[in-house]
Amino acid sequence: MTDAIAQPRIDLTATPAWNGWTRPGRATEVDIRLSADVATRATLDVEAGRQVVHAGVDIEPGRVVRLQVPIESADTVVVSAAFPAAPPQRRDIRIAQSESPVLGLGLVAGDTVHLEGFHTVALDADDLPRNASAYASIDALILDAPTLSALDQRQLGALLVHAAECGRIVLLNADLPVRRVLDGTGGCGGRALMHAASLADAKAMLESSLAANRVMATALPAIGELARPDLVAWNRVLVVLAAYFAVAMLVALFFSSLPVLLLVPAFATVAIPVLLNFMQPSPQLVVWSEATSGAQSARYQAWQRVPGLARGGVRVPVLQQLASARSCDPTQPMRFDFDAIRGHATFAEFDTRLFRQVLLCYSGSFPVARALAIDARPNGLLQVRNTGSIGWPHGMLLAGGLVHELQALGPGDATIIDTHAGKPYRDTWARTAMTRTPADGAAALWELELGGVADIPSQSNAWLLVSIPPP
Amino acid sequence: MSERRAHRVDAMMGLAVAAAIAAWWLGSTRLALDHGSDASRCADDALQALLLVRVMALAMVSVRVGALRGWRPGVTSGLGLIAPSWPVVVLAWSASTRLATHVALAEVLLLTACVVLPLAGRALHRLLQRAEFAVISGTVLGIALAAASWATRSLWYLPSP
Repeated sequence: MTDAIAQPRIDLTATPAWNGWTRPGRATEVDIRLSADVATRATLDVEAGRQVVHAGVDIEPGRVVRLQVPIESADTVVVSAAFPAAPPQRRDIRIAQSESPVLGLGLVAGDTVHLEGFHTVALDADDLPRNASAYASIDALILDAPTLSALDQRQLGALLVHAAECGRIVLLNADLPVRRVLDGTGGCGGRALMHAASLADAKAMLESSLAANRVMATALPAIGELARPDLVAWNRVLVVLAAYFAVAMLVALFFSSLPVLLLVPAFATVAIPVLLNFMQPSPQLVVWSEATSGAQSARYQAWQRVPGLARGGVRVPVLQQLASARSCDPTQPMRFDFDAIRGHATFAEFDTRLFRQVLLCYSGSFPVARALAIDARPNGLLQVRNTGSIGWPHGMLLAGGLVHELQALGPGDATIIDTHAGKPYRDTWARTAMTRTPADGAAALWELELGGVADIPSQSNAWLLVSIPPP
Repeated sequence: MSERRAHRVDAMMGLAVAAAIAAWWLGSTRLALDHGSDASRCADDALQALLLVRVMALAMVSVRVGALRGWRPGVTSGLGLIAPSWPVVVLAWSASTRLATHVALAEVLLLTACVVLPLAGRALHRLLQRAEFAVISGTVLGIALAAASWATRSLWYLPSP
């Protein structure tokens, strides 16, 4: 009786985004609400597949603490909360995984639409996620004006990022200011963001969008070549072993006493792992971003490579300026420390070993202001003009299967490029850019400075590819 | 052959075995890294190869030396064969998926074999009385043990965790 009175009353609820639907291998989100009748501190663990998100939460009496945790898709997500003066609580959430593409339908009137080959999921405003990465769970979205206006700031932010990342969205009778905001951020030339006056129009637009070729989404296998394997660890092990064999051979040549001959391998066995531990290689970061000329935002994918030199646990800070941190390999067990106040992961912990290269993936979008126009001139010449409001630095122009130097240009300035003077570059970044550029189109490529990213690894590279639609 | 020279030859043989397997391991690891595949498999194979090759070398050398020169030279000869691989074993374990206890146990078994196999050679010497018969029998027994180790290698694979 006394215990029952002393124990605080705690409520824990966990709700998956998208009304509990996702697709295999895609990211989603869990909305967690936690409240208590006394001030206490809770330790939350959200386990999805082989990844765990860990967060510490301060609870004030009578206030509901709410956090939206991005997770990898899994059949069952386990949310557990531990308290200093109360028994732990646990909620098991079932997440349905659709084999078919998912169409999210946020319509207040409850109307429904059937798109061939799609699984339709009816949504309330609260079913929409607050993390842009969770939009990976759906393949198309129809939202009406009331649902759109019921979204909170974080939901709107995530929707804008999804629009910038070329998410296929149809807005039904959206207000003019909302249309303007979304039109400004829509990626892929705004072709994936559509406005409809009726549900029938929305369906027709989606069908026509699905039938048409769309700009390729940034795909990991295509870009993986940029994140070349780090051979620092391999080189170090080679040098260390070569040194050991050289010393051992010299000792064997000049000494024949057994204790001396045994001392060398015994000492090396202890010293080599210690030496390697003191030579931890630094992580690498590769950022690849893409935009269309004149677009207000560019979408990016980033890979943070953490090379291993020894067996054991590693704790790596998550780069705060990059969004949607996750393990690139869903089978890699990983634990993320989650900042409940700021709503994103701060550290990633995982086991590694010698030669293992663990990759953290990021994706998102950032504002960009690069606009250029190309006019064909006689004799294989191209006039490239900066049609934007700000200048751009020195870069590369990709046209006709060749790479050309592109000089820095101020707003309104133009330059002439001889298409015959290009080079068939073989660098990985130029090759990747070439594969991302349509054969009949052109694109400009700039290397980006990452000075604004905190805790940036010393070995970092970033590129921005701006595609120019064919005239 | 003097005892000191024998130590040197054994150490050279041990180094040659370790260097050959290290070269093979690092080469296959480099290929795995270049192709983006899992380098731990190469390390697992290297650990297994280090164990198998040293067991076979021990069987062939220790019994014979034990029969020819006695237990103590047989033990030192075995140590000279297996010890140079220890740094490679530690590095390969660090890159592998194998449990440290299994790898340590394998090394303890090798050390035990270092002690036991020369005893078998010594026992042969006492049984057959004549040194030349003992050496021939020791050599044949060592080769038989090495062949048995090779034939049964799948039975004592270091298990994956």
